[in-house]
Amino acid sequence: MNRPPLTVGIIPNPASGRDLRRLTANAGLFSSTDKASVVQRLLGAFGATGIQRVLLPTDMTGIAAAVLKASRGRHARDNRWPELEILDIRLRQTVEDTRLAAHLMAERGVALIAVLGGDGTHKAVAAEVGDIPLLTLSTGTNNAFPELREATGAGLAGGLFASGRIPPEIGLRRNKRLLVREARRGLCEWALVDVAVSPLRFVGGRAISRAEDLAEVFVTFAEPHAIGLSALCGLWCPVSRQAPEGAWMRLHPEARDALLAPLAPGLLQGCGVVAAGTLEPGVAHAPSLNGGTLALDGEREIAFAAGDRPTVTLDSHGPLSIDVEAALAYAARHRLLSIGREHPQHPVNLSC
Amino acid sequence: MTTHLSAEQLLHAYRVMRTIRVFEERLHIEFATGEIPGFVHLYAGEEASAAGVMAHLRDDDCIASNHRGHGHCIAKGVDVHGMMAEIYGKKTGVCQGKGGSMHIADLSKGMLGANGIVGAGAPLVAGAALAAKLKGTDAVAVVFFGDGASNEGAVFEAMNLAAIMNLPCIFVAENNGYAEATASNWSVSCDHIADRAAGFGMPGVTVDGFDFFAVHEAAGAAVARARAGEGPSLIEVKLTRYYGHFEGDAQTYRDMDELKEMREVRDCLKQFRDHTVAAGLLDISQLDDIDGEVERQIEDSVIKAKSDPKPPAADLLADVYVSYP
Repeated sequence: MNRPPLTVGIIPNPASGRDLRRLTANAGLFSSTDKASVVQRLLGAFGATGIQRVLLPTDMTGIAAAVLKASRGRHARDNRWPELEILDIRLRQTVEDTRLAAHLMAERGVALIAVLGGDGTHKAVAAEVGDIPLLTLSTGTNNAFPELREATGAGLAGGLFASGRIPPEIGLRRNKRLLVREARRGLCEWALVDVAVSPLRFVGGRAISRAEDLAEVFVTFAEPHAIGLSALCGLWCPVSRQAPEGAWMRLHPEARDALLAPLAPGLLQGCGVVAAGTLEPGVAHAPSLNGGTLALDGEREIAFAAGDRPTVTLDSHGPLSIDVEAALAYAARHRLLSIGREHPQHPVNLSC
Repeated sequence: MTTHLSAEQLLHAYRVMRTIRVFEERLHIEFATGEIPGFVHLYAGEEASAAGVMAHLRDDDCIASNHRGHGHCIAKGVDVHGMMAEIYGKKTGVCQGKGGSMHIADLSKGMLGANGIVGAGAPLVAGAALAAKLKGTDAVAVVFFGDGASNEGAVFEAMNLAAIMNLPCIFVAENNGYAEATASNWSVSCDHIADRAAGFGMPGVTVDGFDFFAVHEAAGAAVARARAGEGPSLIEVKLTRYYGHFEGDAQTYRDMDELKEMREVRDCLKQFRDHTVAAGLLDISQLDDIDGEVERQIEDSVIKAKSDPKPPAADLLADVYVSYP
């Protein structure tokens, strides 16, 4: 019986990196052209590490089209890109496209999914794919979950793991998550980094750019070098990705203590800190406000009113992700990228 | 910039959107009778864009529109009966019946005009923004254009001028997915019109044009930026039009199931009602009252416009640049 080709997925979010924060802060742009380039770099790395097929969803912004065109060119041939299969899904141009692509890839049994997007994109994929590892690449605005990393090296780490040359205990890490539940509407949503409670009544432009629009923040982890809402805890009560607990912080403009925190790229805001503490796993917390919005991983998504009873709970059942540094350190120790004279890119085979 | 809107402001925004919707849906019916001269291009479905942007503007702020201009006029405060009469070609119209749908204008409201030339509004607002800057006021100028116009040279020239001269100018690209019958995902390279702002050194954002509050927030940030002398911005508003490019367009190029879903699920008026009532900020009865008042206003404006006088023949030679013997 033929073994199925070693297959991975790539999900670029066409909408990431172009929200309101380009106006309210100094956030940069991550264009569709840039994203198509990142996908091409991943294909080169996947080809070099033995991945045979890559699934890529179609989109309305030309990313898949540009990659498909490039896959027929000289560079793709010379670098032995994997076979490219475009997932032709009916597009709604909402987060549902990301969810559907992730779902289809999981059904196809991919060994890994590379995600190009922000915290929100990773959250949407993670909720669909169970324990399929994610190779996380930041192409959003305020990202804490995916690290800002060059795609070629990340692709090598992902490809080596997916092809079975890096043991899971080295190359994978289990992440925490926050579950947001609201019984009346039957909601159960994930966040991978933070849930913020805002007095703003509408989802609107989604981003939160002012300290006064924040009443409370819950985080799975918070690193002092973070950008975005988790930076609040990161600079006051940091907690690592590996620690079992998370952190919380309650905010009010008139609090006695205040903290200067980067809420978005280039946007430093003084935030009044009422209290902060450790977020224990398994304990459901209700927001301190009677009404407002909940921002999941930096974007307002859920409006709630006095009759609603949303809760936020930390647990350790978040997605698996590739630990790129650990994977590549292992690859270096075991010379996983050494090549023999038969390899077409061995120096003896390269013409001058 | 956030959505701290008073009940009065919320009700005004709803009234603006409802007025545009009823105005356009009535024109959809009336145009079929053959009484209205020329073409009409309806704005129904796109109301949150005009209402969200114009909520931040004053009468001394100028806007320039395109062929689909009724919504921009209503949101900028142009008299509804005057508009209806103008579209019917009557003397009582805001341009005395000479402009019609595609050249409707009201300078007293800062509405520089609808425009039959694709992309032609952009250089006009660059001029208006330059005037405001030279006069030392904090007025701003806004152009509304579509995905088709986003490919026009005049738009790029205006963006370049606005950027190098740091003009208080806001470029609002209303991307409804089709330039007449040509899909924007085929005809617009790089697809996100907002991405093009980077080429001119200005910020560009994409917002959900079905959500008044999303447009309102982005426009608020862009207007505040312009008034503070920080230069131009580009806002791409992604939305859809409920009717054809023009009245009579059979729309054989569109997936009508997709349109049906947008209308039933994402409609800006429906969302506005749901969100404001769920948040406890407005009562459903207040919104229903506005619906009734707007219906009566549009009915009255149609009845009056139909019975209003046509311009006399002598008007042909009035208000022109050359004196004829």
